[in-house]
Amino acid sequence: MKESIAAIQNAVIDMKDDDIKGLVQKCLDEGATPLEIIEQGLSKGLDVVGERFDAGDYYLADLIMAGEIVTEAMNLLKTRMNPKDIGRKGKVILATVQGDVHDIGKKIVGMILSASGYEIIDLGVDVSSEKVVEAVKKENIQLVGLSVLLTTMVHNLKEIGDMLAAAGLREKVKIAIGGACCSQHLANEMGVDAFGESAVAAVGIFDDFRMKLGLA
Amino acid sequence: METMSSKERVLRTLEGKPVDRVPCMSVMLEAKTIYEIKKKPLLSKIISDEKLLKLPLSKFVLDRWAPQISGLVFRPSLKKTFHLRNIGQVEMGLDAIWAYYDDTWIMLDSKSYAMPTGSIYNLIPDGSGNMSYMYSKPGITTPEEFDAWPYWPDTDDMAHSVFKYYKKFVADYGEKVCITACGSSLGLQEGMNCTFGIDKVPIWIKRHPAYVSRYLDLHEEIKMKTSEALISAGVPVIFISDDFAFKTGPFLNPKIIDSVFGPHYRRIFKYIRDKGAKVILHSCGDNTKIFDIFLSWGIDALHAYETTSDVDIFKQKELHGDRVTMIGGMGIDYLLTSKSKDEEVIARVKDLIMRLGPRGRFIVAPSNSVDSMSAHKVLVMVEAVKKYGSYPISIN
Repeated sequence: MKESIAAIQNAVIDMKDDDIKGLVQKCLDEGATPLEIIEQGLSKGLDVVGERFDAGDYYLADLIMAGEIVTEAMNLLKTRMNPKDIGRKGKVILATVQGDVHDIGKKIVGMILSASGYEIIDLGVDVSSEKVVEAVKKENIQLVGLSVLLTTMVHNLKEIGDMLAAAGLREKVKIAIGGACCSQHLANEMGVDAFGESAVAAVGIFDDFRMKLGLA
Repeated sequence: METMSSKERVLRTLEGKPVDRVPCMSVMLEAKTIYEIKKKPLLSKIISDEKLLKLPLSKFVLDRWAPQISGLVFRPSLKKTFHLRNIGQVEMGLDAIWAYYDDTWIMLDSKSYAMPTGSIYNLIPDGSGNMSYMYSKPGITTPEEFDAWPYWPDTDDMAHSVFKYYKKFVADYGEKVCITACGSSLGLQEGMNCTFGIDKVPIWIKRHPAYVSRYLDLHEEIKMKTSEALISAGVPVIFISDDFAFKTGPFLNPKIIDSVFGPHYRRIFKYIRDKGAKVILHSCGDNTKIFDIFLSWGIDALHAYETTSDVDIFKQKELHGDRVTMIGGMGIDYLLTSKSKDEEVIARVKDLIMRLGPRGRFIVAPSNSVDSMSAHKVLVMVEAVKKYGSYPISIN
């Protein structure tokens, strides 16, 4: 079984998408649980991909390809999982702010967070601040990731924080931002909780949020 | 040294020859920037494009028959907008402009249009009465959709239209400014990103290589035919715009960039240079890992050196500044917007000239084109280059 899980890990690392479903099925047939496959195979594979990305050996397209392979595997594993294990780390709202339609980074963040155990509620692009706050209230969400590329739209980041504060929710909700025009300076200026320089940073940021919110 | 014409100054700089002054250039200024000079919407004096598109009758007609009537209602205004943007650049006193003209877009309804190579854009008001655009989504998501795409262009028609426009534009303005131009929208990788969706490009490369080849072959044909049309019309410099990198680095592995796009670009650039024209390649973001690949494709100049990315234009001058002409250096996130002070623009120009000017092969220019760019700040840049850029460089 260990060899089969290692094969899944390697398929993610080497971006071999030819038979990822076959490899997952083999693991399941050998008695591995879906959670074992996710944690020891897919997540560890993504960790290595992330390390190589940080080291400059892998590129954004490699993250996408690895994410695609993980998504394929997850689609099969979800049918075999206990529903309570899906999104076991909690729900994360992702949105590209109003006036902006760029979502490449957001999609990758979603794939990586999903593989890491988060349930993603992707509100899409050009999302109004009201819609983000409504979704936070409706789903009782504490983790929010906002994407923005256009400098002219960054004011929406502050607006969402202000609206959450007006609703008495700001202390309970952590917000991370990412996108081409974002920086730590902007995060400070907009009063959000974290800035992710790359999609790979997302898991660490949201795991840290869980710790700070007492969810871990 | 005798005072040179703008065209001579730019062409000699592209060749790495001595010139009288560091040249300055603009890059495809948006309608909103030109509006700052004109003080009115570019097209209509009576009703803005934005209001026109919102009229119930316009919406009714366009939401039903837009693709069929694009040639009647959309392309004429598109042509005029591009033309006025090009003239606006000429009037700013630059040495070179990046002229832009493309009349192939297809209006899909009252809110969106398609490029014939398979990408969809939203029409959005730019706040000055003009309509601008923003990429919306891929037009092609499967091989079946690729085969069924209804708007693949006729490349001969494109070339003919490009020739017709630039023949007159060069006759009118070709002696006043060095015209650099592209004959079609989007470069090869940027085109694939927009047509298939950037997050799907690596998947198409891996799973549908035959379709990727067909797509790139079409772009190569478009680039070659429209470039030939430009050169025949008298345009001396072809400006090929592509986007290979984000601000943190290339999107694809450099080896894949070279193997997938390199063969096409090598042929395109050789074709252009064999006909006696120069080639500028634009790629914004941090291209530090792929600059040498670009150079190996055979170009005369590189544009962008985007200041918000990790690329360091001064370091790059040391690394490849003697092998290619570098264009850029002026930030568009702050410096060339209304937020900066004139003194800051002047200080940056002086710094660029002092550090990059002495070795030649450098043209001062904005690193990109966005709606938020201030025409006033571009004019400050132009004046500063003219004041401080003369050779021999001596700035206190």
